[in-house]
Amino acid sequence: MKKTSFWVILIAAVALLSAAALAWQHFSANADKLIANVYLDGECVRSIDLNKLTEPETFTVSGPVGENVITAEPGRICVSHADCPDQVCVNMGWRSDGKMPIVCLPNRLVIEIEDSAQDTENPIDGVVG
Amino acid sequence: MKKISTKQLTFMALLTAIALAIHVAEAQIPAPVPIPGVKLGLANIVTVYAVFTLGAGPALMILVARILLGSLFAGQVMSLAYSLAGGLLCFVVMLLLKRILTRRQIWVASVIGAIFHNIGQILVAIVVTGTPAIVSYLPVLLLSGIAAGLFTGFAAQTFIRRMDKRDMK
Repeated sequence: MKKTSFWVILIAAVALLSAAALAWQHFSANADKLIANVYLDGECVRSIDLNKLTEPETFTVSGPVGENVITAEPGRICVSHADCPDQVCVNMGWRSDGKMPIVCLPNRLVIEIEDSAQDTENPIDGVVG
Repeated sequence: MKKISTKQLTFMALLTAIALAIHVAEAQIPAPVPIPGVKLGLANIVTVYAVFTLGAGPALMILVARILLGSLFAGQVMSLAYSLAGGLLCFVVMLLLKRILTRRQIWVASVIGAIFHNIGQILVAIVVTGTPAIVSYLPVLLLSGIAAGLFTGFAAQTFIRRMDKRDMK
């Protein structure tokens, strides 16, 4: 039997580490390079340079349960419409830095802002496709 | 496994029904923060209760029945894999902790169970989407999981200790 204080310290340590990681994520995000990589099933299907974008662009991707409509604007990107019932990806709103990716778990869609393009097949794309 | 008496089977069915009702009701509440996987996990109160009073076998059956039926009823079949992975990892950890925790430390099992639930969820999400970057959600999930685990843990502990005093079952 361990003392309750042992458990309190253990749990507090995990909470502190998480908070530190969160703070680190928050302050380490850089806004110089904004390249949104759209992954479906782990494969990058589209790379958009948000800094080079001049006008809004909308496109649709299809996953196992339906479609996600993705809207990119100069400097930011979001999922503007989704077929799924929980709408978590839509509610996540606009992303303009690499702190946390947009994820739609049912559709296996991940949109991440990184500093390099991951779509190797198509050249980087800053205009309406 | 020893034979289950009718009385115990009825009690397990009752607990499953309670957990299922909580699970479905909670699924109707819109997510408080738009982060996938963040939830209160109130149905875990029943799992904690079952682990600490009924033992491994019955608790596992209640848990699996609740997650399967809950995902079906709440229309979240696609998130079944995440719930199941998180739920089972959490269950195993709580079972191990049961051996070293006193009756006043039951809440600890719930909190540490929640931590492992989050780790399980993230691992499955990484495998399913093939995108390791999702790991950046872990800190947020852990913080919310610890808070939710504290709440459900103390709820379950209060319940178990009241039931101990009444000595009924």
